[in-house]
Amino acid sequence: MSSSAVLETDGLGKRYGSKWALRDCSLAIPAGSVTALVGPNGAGKTTLLQLAVGLSEPSAGSVHVLGRSPRAESHSVLPAVGFVAQEHPLYRGFTVAETLKLGRKLNPGWDEAVAIERVERLSLPLDQKVGKLSGGQQAQVALTLALAKRPELLVLDEPIASLDPLARREFLQSVMAVVAETGTTVVLSSHIVADLERVCDHLVILALGRTQLVGPIDEILASHRLLTGPRTDAEAVARVHEVIREEHTERQTTLLVRANGHVYDSRWQLNEVDLEEIVLAYLGHRGSAPMSHETFREAMTG
Amino acid sequence: MIWVGWRLQRTEVLIAAAIVALLAALLVPTGVEIASTYHRDGLSACLGQNTSDGCNQAIDAFTSQFDRLRSLIAWFTLVPGLTGVLLAAPFVLELEHGTYRLAWTQSITRRRWIVSKLGLSIAAALLVALGLTLLETWWHAPFVHLEGRMDNSVFDSEGTVIFGYTLFALGLATAVGAVWRRAVPALVVAFAGYFAARIFVDTWLRQRLVTPLSVTWPVLVRDHGGPRKGGEPASLNHAWVISENPSDRFGHPVSVLAGFCSKAQVISGNCLPHKASGYMHVVYEPASRFWLLQGLETAMFGGIALVLIGFAVWWAHERI
Repeated sequence: MSSSAVLETDGLGKRYGSKWALRDCSLAIPAGSVTALVGPNGAGKTTLLQLAVGLSEPSAGSVHVLGRSPRAESHSVLPAVGFVAQEHPLYRGFTVAETLKLGRKLNPGWDEAVAIERVERLSLPLDQKVGKLSGGQQAQVALTLALAKRPELLVLDEPIASLDPLARREFLQSVMAVVAETGTTVVLSSHIVADLERVCDHLVILALGRTQLVGPIDEILASHRLLTGPRTDAEAVARVHEVIREEHTERQTTLLVRANGHVYDSRWQLNEVDLEEIVLAYLGHRGSAPMSHETFREAMTG
Repeated sequence: MIWVGWRLQRTEVLIAAAIVALLAALLVPTGVEIASTYHRDGLSACLGQNTSDGCNQAIDAFTSQFDRLRSLIAWFTLVPGLTGVLLAAPFVLELEHGTYRLAWTQSITRRRWIVSKLGLSIAAALLVALGLTLLETWWHAPFVHLEGRMDNSVFDSEGTVIFGYTLFALGLATAVGAVWRRAVPALVVAFAGYFAARIFVDTWLRQRLVTPLSVTWPVLVRDHGGPRKGGEPASLNHAWVISENPSDRFGHPVSVLAGFCSKAQVISGNCLPHKASGYMHVVYEPASRFWLLQGLETAMFGGIALVLIGFAVWWAHERI
């Protein structure tokens, strides 16, 4: 339990009927970090984030935001949390100005200057109905609503999934600008890995309702290696290192490992591996049903 | 929150207000006509028990003149159901569109959000009910002078019951919508439920809420025939007659020639076989029980409405 954790879960689980959407999830998101929560659709990302903002209640374990329970102590947690739900729901019949007025009325800590500055910079039309805006503009309005609360924790559920590449880039730039300016802790979920590396410094991989990997991205990149060598079984390597994925062709074996210290065997050729590759490997790891590489790639790119 | 709540449901509130205005546009001119006809024909002089044949003819002429209009206005008893489910729509739409995830992650608690949103719906429903009650009470006044207000078509649109009906429809739609989270089907189902409940109460339950009274009196047949109002006990004046059974002078039930007799003929005994003298047995709720029955029915519908709304609040608070 680190005292600087903004979001902390311990054995957290959520069950809908007899099906566990999230199970045994323990993680701590340090203050000031920007954490990407990745995993295929149905992995439990939304469940985890809704638990974090108090939209649903844990079936097992606990979740704490700033040391408090988001559901039981929502009156003190909500003002400190900015949340943009999946598909950024907004009142479509409201104008942009009315949407901001709603934020002002419902949030005592509302910072009108933040809202106005963003609306002007993004040239969002104040008199336009929100339902008439483009998807990218709607996402920006939703983000503005969350940011003008001046939250300590910003939670974004699949913020870029429905956006075109340009809007995606603009949205992530907005998030980065806020982080640079305010040091807000950010957790954002995505099934798209490609753009996240530039924005995020921490990674949580979620698959089949369980966390597969949690940690700072630079450590993750430093500890994972791709080993290529003559065909052999992975047993010897697995005694020392954690083998995440093994692939065999007729003549050679490729292992993606989480290296436990240095790999000393000269038979193996060591290569660095990029984040997307690591994520893909983990999604096929640990008890998950075997899936082809292509299926993962599809899942990851939507 | 007041601004937000109003902004979120002003469309439905304005539609409900427009419905009331539409009814007013129909009720006010016809009501003025009815009232002026009533005064022109001097019907207020005919309100006594034993009235002249001239009065009876004038009353018959008056009631038959507005008969078709009254059967049309009787359909307005569905309006509380319509406006009730309509005012539940903003709450259900919030769940259907997923915007509750936006609303419940602002700085106010979920409980406060739900309570103020439903509170506004309830306030609007009560205002609509007040408008309907005032309009219909005024419109029915001349008929009430002549016939009393115990008959279903009047009873359902006077006093306090409209408040109960409107809240019931609102509560039913809110509860169904909270679970279903689909506005259109939930509202349709709730309206059907409202209709069924009203029919059940009107045709079966209401006459069983308070044990009805019964009265028996001798029926005398005048030789030269012709309907007359005399002979009927004063307690039946403006009462709600639930059943009336003639018997011969020994008390054995006799069958009236059903279908050929008007109520007046039955009461005057003109439909008894062989024009013999006999007795009339009537089961009825006296006019004096109007407010008792109104109170019971309002409490019943209002009470169920509160339970349904309470359930919806609990469901939205704990299960979503």
